[in-house]
Amino acid sequence: MSARAIASAVLALAVLLLPAVAGPFLRYLVLNMLLLALLALSFNLLFGMTGLLSFGQGAFYSGGAYAAALLLRAGVPLLWSILLGAVAAAALAAILGAFCVRHTRIYFSMLTLAFGMLVYAVVWKWTDVTGGDDGLIGIPRGRLGLPGPLDLSLDSPVRYYLFAAVLVLVSMAVLHRLSRSPLGLSLRSIRENAERAEFSGVRVRRTIYIAFVTAGLFAGLSGALLAPLEQTVSPSTAHWTKSAEPVMATLIGGPFSFLGPILGAVVYLGLKEIIVRFTEYWLLVFGLVLLGCVLTFRSGIVGAVEEAWARRRRA
Amino acid sequence: MAPRRGITRRRFLQTTAVAAAGLAAPKGFAAQAPDLKLKKPIKIGCQTILSGPLGGYGEFMRKGATLAMEQVNAAGGIGGSPVEMSFRDEELKVDVGVKNARYFVDDWGADFLIGIDSSAVALAVGEIMPTLNKVLIVTHGATEKFNEDLVYKRHVRQCFRVCVPVYQDGIASALVAKDLPVKKWATISPDYEYGHTSWKMFRAYLKRFKPDVEFVGESFAKFGTVDFSSHISKVMGLNPEGIFSTEWGGEAVTMVKQAKLFKVFEQTKAFMIGMGSAMDVLQGLGADYPDGTWASGRYYFGYPDTPENKKFVADFRKRWDTYPSYPSETAYTAVYALKKAVEKAKSIDTEKVIEALEGLELDRPAGKCVIRKEDHQAVYAVPWGQITHDPRFPMPTLKNLKVFTTDEYYRKPPFAPVEG
Amino acid sequence: MYLWLVAAGLSLIFGVMRVLNFAHGSLYMLGAYFAWVAFRVSGSFWVALLAGPLLVAAAGWAMEFGFLRRVYSAPEAFQLLLTFAFVLMLDDVVKLAFGPVYQSPPTPAALSGAVMIGRSILPTYHLFILGVGGLVGLGLWLFLEKTSFGLVIRATAADREMARALGVRSSRLFTWVFVLGAWLAGLGGALSMPVRAISPGMGEFIIIEAFVVVVLGGLGSLRGAFLGSVLIGLLHAYGLLFMPVFELALGYMAMALVLIVRPWGLFGVREG
Repeated sequence: MSARAIASAVLALAVLLLPAVAGPFLRYLVLNMLLLALLALSFNLLFGMTGLLSFGQGAFYSGGAYAAALLLRAGVPLLWSILLGAVAAAALAAILGAFCVRHTRIYFSMLTLAFGMLVYAVVWKWTDVTGGDDGLIGIPRGRLGLPGPLDLSLDSPVRYYLFAAVLVLVSMAVLHRLSRSPLGLSLRSIRENAERAEFSGVRVRRTIYIAFVTAGLFAGLSGALLAPLEQTVSPSTAHWTKSAEPVMATLIGGPFSFLGPILGAVVYLGLKEIIVRFTEYWLLVFGLVLLGCVLTFRSGIVGAVEEAWARRRRA
Repeated sequence: MAPRRGITRRRFLQTTAVAAAGLAAPKGFAAQAPDLKLKKPIKIGCQTILSGPLGGYGEFMRKGATLAMEQVNAAGGIGGSPVEMSFRDEELKVDVGVKNARYFVDDWGADFLIGIDSSAVALAVGEIMPTLNKVLIVTHGATEKFNEDLVYKRHVRQCFRVCVPVYQDGIASALVAKDLPVKKWATISPDYEYGHTSWKMFRAYLKRFKPDVEFVGESFAKFGTVDFSSHISKVMGLNPEGIFSTEWGGEAVTMVKQAKLFKVFEQTKAFMIGMGSAMDVLQGLGADYPDGTWASGRYYFGYPDTPENKKFVADFRKRWDTYPSYPSETAYTAVYALKKAVEKAKSIDTEKVIEALEGLELDRPAGKCVIRKEDHQAVYAVPWGQITHDPRFPMPTLKNLKVFTTDEYYRKPPFAPVEG
Repeated sequence: MYLWLVAAGLSLIFGVMRVLNFAHGSLYMLGAYFAWVAFRVSGSFWVALLAGPLLVAAAGWAMEFGFLRRVYSAPEAFQLLLTFAFVLMLDDVVKLAFGPVYQSPPTPAALSGAVMIGRSILPTYHLFILGVGGLVGLGLWLFLEKTSFGLVIRATAADREMARALGVRSSRLFTWVFVLGAWLAGLGGALSMPVRAISPGMGEFIIIEAFVVVVLGGLGSLRGAFLGSVLIGLLHAYGLLFMPVFELALGYMAMALVLIVRPWGLFGVREG
């Protein structure tokens, strides 16, 4: 096994063993980091690999969250609610993607922004279904939904943490495989040069579409896992300020590697948590960090580390 | 200063069941101060809006809470333990509000939680209070779902509220409106649950008091509306005689300024703004606030005319160089309510404090108040008044105060649904 | 009408520099704050109206010269994110400097009247803003059509490569365009100062509206920005009258529709 694989396994184990050593708030924070990491990875499937900046991942994140919430309220067991929630988000992505993938660059970004805010508006106003601006509250966690003795109740926060962490880690593994697969290669070739890719046989639009729907699926999964965690879902999950989070996380961590968005999510939430304890002016500090990243670390922290490593090897 | 404090303390000690709380604390809040020997500070976590266009609220709330904390600590703390407070920005977002609550309890070690401006955040945080199992005292979020649903129907007993809810905007307003020479009302209100509910309550209750009244139009403006022209034109096109609004904060300021330009105040006989007496709105509008506009809030610094209130206002002005807004008073009261409850219960155990808070009577700057046992809602009267520009004050103030008994406008269990 | 000024600046900057300036709403906010400070210092609304936008133009210069120009060679996404970083920072800077409470000077007495048009009332101040907007629009048109600098701007907007090949010094051009765009946003902010509450975060709402307008009218077209803002205004007014439930969504629906059907907007230039 390569060094990378071992390191990943160790990290995954550390994540799963966290509840044994950490208090409830740290556990809660790490779980939030995992969910944001998944969201960022979904975003980077489009950005890092295809070069398309989506400002509307919040639409699918909230789609997954609301779908899962409604299913849970209707009594559907937890695992199915979550998976179906993700699928619902993917369905939404399938519809919206048909429009979005016909465009590139700025127009793509603006269209995703428009769709994201449209979802927000619908969620805000459709009070009968989504609870409107108060959101859905009192979402039950219910039972797992697996047959027999595995049908556990996940009311305990530790159990829910493990459940969610496992799902996130599995998703990460799937996304990793995806990035190494022929689909991933096609996506990267599109980022390099879309015309050339087309000429060498890559069906550009169709490939981007698949990436878009996949990104929607995993964004939806992240949102679906949120619903039973907080037991509340609100329209802010669809707002562009939420969509901006995976963008910032990916940029901080580095969009050109798989690890980047994950690291970025950890740094983003961790940094915010630390800053907020010292000052209420966290926007300012954040803006400065972002500024620094854009001006210097074009490839994020991962990129900077890799560069430093390469330089040392050369020296 | 010190000798004066000593004399006053002795004098207080000589009074009946009221022990000294030092010169700093108002008489109404002085209570038995047993030494609970906790050996640790009492931590109160407060979250409020500190950023964005409604950030003024958070500032005022923080000032009120901090003043209370300083006074309490100067008088020996709560049960002999000093009070520590931590403030966090709720950002008007539900997920941030929940995270803050968890941080306070799980990480910072809060014994109690207070604050919260947004109704949605109040409801969401209320949901997790049984898990966190600490007392939460909401100081601004006004949805009736908090006390009627969460506490009364679903028995989430950790939740309390110390500020008057939407009844002030929706029902007390109707009591004022019924005596006004206005037969046709319209509204320009914010487009979220609160805006809709308050208008619905106003219509339902006013219809009861004055059956011949008509509601000719409504326009709901989304958060962040900068240009109220379309809303104003739409509503004025229906020829209302009176306008009702629950716009708050910076948006109330913007709306009133623009309504003034459209001559709304000259074309209507009455304009009512539910949260129009908030200090930030008074200061924000200044000379542009038309005389005669009806306004209310959750506390008005000029009412009641009691020594306690005067002292609070004077202390606040001395400390912060500004008049207190209503979140200041509600946060201040929340801290003192906790003090009284903890000292009464002789413990910081959540269940015991809950029992002590239920039915607790408070003598707060806003007047006498009782925390109802059934829904943990503090019951006290807040006036509606008309804007006037009194040269003695640097901002507009209220005159012609109308105060109703709480019986007349606080909804009571079992809380029938609002018609309309 | 201040939306038109903000959108015009945004469109101009995009048209020439291909940068979508997220911080344009924050420049609008700075316009309001600087104008308010100028008002407090001088006591004159007119001085405020003059000084505010100029100060914002200076801020815009600092932003472009100091930061934005370093990322021109980077992919567009990074430029967007740099401007976004400024949005975050400026919100807090303003809060630090002025506090979170809202400020607002009274409307100048000369302009607080109203005119009756048929049965509708039109406030004098709105006419004033329309007038200013119109003058500025005229000035911009003259500048772009009749001056050589304007010609250079239009040429660069139409075909950047060609312009560069012909020797246009794009770096200086970009600075001036950004400063002009900032001035426009600042003017919008200064004009709206007496008729709204000024507070940190006020830029965030207007930038979304400006995006919608600019998309409708066509990224890069000033005429489009103007017509776009008129269209949005009408959409809001009629939407409110006939479909108030959709008020929140109308702008975004229009934006999405235009992007799907005709992404370069009403007057934009089709990308090559």
